[in-house]
Amino acid sequence: MKGEGSFNDWFWTMIRFVSRRALWGLVTLALLVSFAFIAVNLLLPYDFAVGLGQRSRNIERIREQLGLDRPLWVRWLDYMWHFVRGDLGESYDGYRVSSYIWSPLPTTVMIFAVGGVVAYLLGEWLGRLVAWSRSRVLTAASSTVSVLLFSAFPPWLIFLLTYFVGDRLAQLRSWAGLQPVTGTAPGGPIAVVLAVGLLVAFITGIALRGWARRNQRRALGLLAIPAGLAGFALGLVISGTWTDAVDQMLWPSALTAMLALILIAFGESMLVMRAGVSAEMAEDYVLTARAKALPERLIRDGHVAPNAVLPTLSRLFTSVPYLISGLVIIELSSGTYALGSLFFYAIESGNVPIIIGIIAIVGVIGLVLRIALDIVQAIIDPRIIRADGEPS
Amino acid sequence: MTHATRGHEIGGWADTRKRLRNNKMAVAGFTVLCVFAILAFIHPILQATVWSDNPAVYRPVTGHDSTIDNPSGPSLTHPLGTDPLGRDVLSLMTHGLRPTFLVAIAVALSAGTIGLVVGASSAFYRGRYDRVMSHISDAVVLLPPPLMFLIASKRGLLGPFELGLLYGLFAGLGPAAIVVRSRALAIMEKPFIDAARSVGGSPRWIITHHLLPAVAPHVAVVTLGSVVGALVTQGFVEYLGIGEYRYGLGNLVYNAMSYQKVLLTGVPWSALMAGALGISLLASSFYMMSAGLRQVIDPRQTRRRV
Repeated sequence: MKGEGSFNDWFWTMIRFVSRRALWGLVTLALLVSFAFIAVNLLLPYDFAVGLGQRSRNIERIREQLGLDRPLWVRWLDYMWHFVRGDLGESYDGYRVSSYIWSPLPTTVMIFAVGGVVAYLLGEWLGRLVAWSRSRVLTAASSTVSVLLFSAFPPWLIFLLTYFVGDRLAQLRSWAGLQPVTGTAPGGPIAVVLAVGLLVAFITGIALRGWARRNQRRALGLLAIPAGLAGFALGLVISGTWTDAVDQMLWPSALTAMLALILIAFGESMLVMRAGVSAEMAEDYVLTARAKALPERLIRDGHVAPNAVLPTLSRLFTSVPYLISGLVIIELSSGTYALGSLFFYAIESGNVPIIIGIIAIVGVIGLVLRIALDIVQAIIDPRIIRADGEPS
Repeated sequence: MTHATRGHEIGGWADTRKRLRNNKMAVAGFTVLCVFAILAFIHPILQATVWSDNPAVYRPVTGHDSTIDNPSGPSLTHPLGTDPLGRDVLSLMTHGLRPTFLVAIAVALSAGTIGLVVGASSAFYRGRYDRVMSHISDAVVLLPPPLMFLIASKRGLLGPFELGLLYGLFAGLGPAAIVVRSRALAIMEKPFIDAARSVGGSPRWIITHHLLPAVAPHVAVVTLGSVVGALVTQGFVEYLGIGEYRYGLGNLVYNAMSYQKVLLTGVPWSALMAGALGISLLASSFYMMSAGLRQVIDPRQTRRRV
């Protein structure tokens, strides 16, 4: 509540809350990696020989070299001992797992960040409009479209995208004045900067919007997300990496994957937002606002929508692991060389350490975003912090 | 006394069912599911009756119709057309629906059961058991079942049903258990639980007669939702050809795409659409039932209207 307690109190409560969440996150991460280790080892026991192209008579010797003759729990302890020091171990063919994962990771993270943020904003906007229109036709049409897209078969969606808009997507590059692509996929540090910067700008924007609305600063609330995104774009322009960033995003295969991710993911947030807004529309405060003859737009964007945003956000953030695994499938279908291809290669060759490494990375991304969501929720609505520091 | 107890039960399903019938999304989903269920069982019947004159042409994998140009669009002899190799698409599709259905049933069974048992028991017994199970659920939720499904399908030893059980294990321990637990915790605070305890209700009675009926719709929402991901993943496993089962809807899509490239025929739309839309529509029927059920049990929807 405004004016209740000092900023200092609030600050220290938040610090305690954040550190508890981080500690909890480390325990969860250790559990996750243990489950992944045991499950993957049980599901793919001796397939490593396939990946190494070895004959069966050599298998016993190689098992000993790789330390696979030890019992599973000893290997688990060994793996965890390395993992807590930030080491993902060695793959069966002798390279570091981290070096395998680092090169395709930026592409996946970039597609995921751009696609996820666009899908969320699109879903939030459309859901709000459709619910507010109270039109039966629009409601039915939006339900049908989002349900069909949500359950679309990725290879089919990619096929349709390439068949119908593939040429247009390729033209986008020449319109933007970019060279035709040479490699198989975008990547490199700029993709990471793009992804992390975009996510940070987006999450900060959301938190700022929530905080501003709570504290009756309506103009700041309306401008928070656009300003966050624009600030990020300005940062890219000033640092001279704008062209590089556009180049990354307009990579044809990556762009197709991004579009497919947006199409598959936006329906869910639209449906949740729509349900939230139409439930809120029956509340008394809407009637009060109408009685005061406030403009409809203000009631919709200023009064109703903020109350429906939190469920939408939390649905999006909790489905992050599912979105990333969907992205693995999308990447494989669209022929983007990224985490998806590495994952498939690791499965095909039975290279268990790489698989566990990828699952761990996906888990870390999901976990970090979930903790970020908890913090955003705590900023928007401090009541959710219980006495013991756990969110209720 | 034994006969009077029925009146005291909280029937989560009783009024949910009534409202479900008025929910368009749930009804639409159920209708689509019924259509596909009929399609999945119709293959042997068609083989024995309509196609019995010329069974070789309509055999799902090896059939071939040499009398027409392939791929062909819908016609009287081939209601869904033929694929680039001249196989009847309706026959391929109805045949390929079976593994897809097996996966759906297996996921629903295992995710629902595991979610109910883990979630309800941790809400009922609380304490250390609850804390351990919650941590496990929090970790498993970060372990995406589709990826585990892809990994498990590699060995080719697991059939669609086992793969579905595995998918359901992760979906049940993770999201389903979390939802059930939070609903069950709210139910355990209700006065009728105390009342049941004070008249000597055993834990088993309270769980089976008060807790489970109340959380059943909620676990159904999560379970039906996780079937969607399982069906798409199963289709993708078939598409990649890494699974044990090689005649699914995903294969239909893959074959249509690859033969088109090799044989340089036109795009075999009917084969592509039968496979891809078969997967999508069946998956979306589960999604619609899940979303419809969620709308029905959402307390905010049942309040007064302005």
